[in-house]
Amino acid sequence: MKSMRVLLVVFGILAIFGLMIPSGAMAVREIKIGVIYPLTGGAAAAGRELRAGAELAAKIANNAMSGIDMTMAGNAGIKSLGSAKIKLIFKDHQGNPTLGADLAKKLILDDKVVGILGCYHSSVTKTVSAVCEQYGVPMINGSSTSPALTKRGFKWFWRTTPHDKWFTKDLFEFLKGLTEGKVRGVKAVPKKEIINLASACENTEWGSHVSTLIKEFAKEYGFKARKSLLYSAKSIDLSSEVRSLKAARPDVMLFASYTSDAILMVTTLKAQEVHPKIIWGQDSGFEKPEFRSTLGDNIIGILTRSVFLPQVVQLKKVAREVNALYKAKTGNDLGGASARAFTGLQAWVYILEKSGSTKPADIQRTANSIYIPGKELVVPWKGIKFSTTGEELGQNVLGSGLIGQYQKQKDGKVGLEIVYPFDVSSANMIFPFPAY
Amino acid sequence: MDILISSIAAGLLIGMVLAFMSMGLTIIFGVMEIVNFAHGEFLMIGMYTGLLTAQATGIDPLLTLPVAALVGFLLGIICYYGFIKFLMRGPMVAQLLGTFGLMLFLRNLALLFFGPDDRAIHHGILVGKSFNLGMGVIVPATKVAAAGLSVVTFLAVWLLMNRSKIGKALTATSLNAQGARYMGIPTEWMNALAWGIGGASATIAGALLVNFWSVNPFVGILFTMIAFAIVALGGFGSVPGTFLAGLVVGLITEVPGFWDFFTYTFNWNWMADVPMTSLKYMWVYLTYFIIMMVRPRGLFGWKR
Repeated sequence: MKSMRVLLVVFGILAIFGLMIPSGAMAVREIKIGVIYPLTGGAAAAGRELRAGAELAAKIANNAMSGIDMTMAGNAGIKSLGSAKIKLIFKDHQGNPTLGADLAKKLILDDKVVGILGCYHSSVTKTVSAVCEQYGVPMINGSSTSPALTKRGFKWFWRTTPHDKWFTKDLFEFLKGLTEGKVRGVKAVPKKEIINLASACENTEWGSHVSTLIKEFAKEYGFKARKSLLYSAKSIDLSSEVRSLKAARPDVMLFASYTSDAILMVTTLKAQEVHPKIIWGQDSGFEKPEFRSTLGDNIIGILTRSVFLPQVVQLKKVAREVNALYKAKTGNDLGGASARAFTGLQAWVYILEKSGSTKPADIQRTANSIYIPGKELVVPWKGIKFSTTGEELGQNVLGSGLIGQYQKQKDGKVGLEIVYPFDVSSANMIFPFPAY
Repeated sequence: MDILISSIAAGLLIGMVLAFMSMGLTIIFGVMEIVNFAHGEFLMIGMYTGLLTAQATGIDPLLTLPVAALVGFLLGIICYYGFIKFLMRGPMVAQLLGTFGLMLFLRNLALLFFGPDDRAIHHGILVGKSFNLGMGVIVPATKVAAAGLSVVTFLAVWLLMNRSKIGKALTATSLNAQGARYMGIPTEWMNALAWGIGGASATIAGALLVNFWSVNPFVGILFTMIAFAIVALGGFGSVPGTFLAGLVVGLITEVPGFWDFFTYTFNWNWMADVPMTSLKYMWVYLTYFIIMMVRPRGLFGWKR
């Protein structure tokens, strides 16, 4: 009987202590984040990069890693949430907006995720973010560049990457810098020598939007858009387009093209002996490996906007450190897709750490006030800070793009060198555009 | 004036290339009255054949044409004996849906083997070269070769159809298969031959196209659309009609060039703002639509 009493007291004491210990410390919790990317289909190659980038960021956040100059690498998990680990649940949207929306619903209702990261294609991001808005679940987008996404007044959507409007503005800042002698290796070029612009953009939503932006910025910066044409990316011949551009006698030629048409465009420019002083492409086709391998030395001197170039790794210590881990994991260097997916998840980690809660309202409040300095990021931005007023809600206002120029590099291969922003340029610019 | 002349030259040149890639479609229809929806996929296979043969052997892409012709010919024969022959027993709609199925099958087969990425030829005697003929006329060497071969092939096919025994047998089969059979013509073999020649002409065109156009498994549909417009315009089954319709369509795709000519000659600034290049193919399909309305058998169609 006595032993029975002792046992009861012991249980009682244990029970009281048990109640006093905070629940967070009792077991390490998991924080589920749904990640929706195109893992199969036409954009599967990009999907693989995106996935690897997000996975690496989660690994760094979940384990204390020395030798990486990043706050999240010092903590093993989310410190303010009892060192809870980030768990990524990947879903494949196959580039299909309807499927993306269904997957988002499943993640929210079945997997009970804290939030969503994705989705690469702007069209899929559009439907997925609408589902998140409906359920009041936070979503961070790291790699979709349609300006319309942050113009919808959504309260549960934040975008870390700069978008096409910013990239196009970068181009005009670059042209302005060229006239002011700010470009490395080029003396100030009189504006009248590069004043006439002609653009050819593919005629879907993306290209036609870039075309409109070019016209708007040309006016704002005092350039003359002599010809702005739209063409079908699925055109089997672009010679009439190229002759139309040539007839406008432009100094600067601007393009927004996908892969096959970018290759056909440059081939046709060469065949028609068109020699403007500057050729610039809005990323996409102009940055694809196929563009480089097909056209070889013909593209030396061509400019393209970009979000991440291998040179960033040389210039930024933290990028170098993360790149070494990424290369060990995948065998490849960080690229535009992987670096931005990494940064998207990194934003998630910092927001969760600062809010110390997984409640949507707390996350929303923290996201709207967070500031992540540029030195924490692998991408060459000033930092991450989301806009909370004005026409662009949830857009990171500290992001920026790069402009690269194809040049012959030390190893004899043709690669991109940074020419803009001017303070991180990695080589002298080739100006004017040389013969093909 | 330079703009006008160069637009006409470019229109005729691309027209010959377009006619070339439409020829297979008209041959098969002419003999068997089957619309081959998989025509673009034959072109795609020709493009892959040219590309892979050139890459594997290191020879110039132009020299891969015989290989492409052989692949196309065999593919046509296999398609006929393995598939089309059975479809012929069914109604017209079964034939239409059947070749549509063949299109999907070949496209997905290519996707399985070659993946979804774009591939292109990097080197070749003619790749990236052009001739400056003066007066603003600059013609790319690859297109000149394609156009030249187009003329030669059209002549050869025309001679085959009109001046040879095989051609007469093909024509007889197309006019009245039963009657031809009574006369001792092996109509089954003639049908297979039509598929073989049609397939070979498509793959040759494909192997030429790959000199200036990158290939992926979905590329066929781009060419099928325009080939249909050309063949319908020229008259289904008419070989010379297809050639002339190709030239007409080539010139129509140059409408933006003619537009520019007026814009810059008369300095009409408002014209520069009209998005003519965006509407380039609209004129082609509009012409096709009008021809279908007023002359359903096409410009040179002889079958009723």
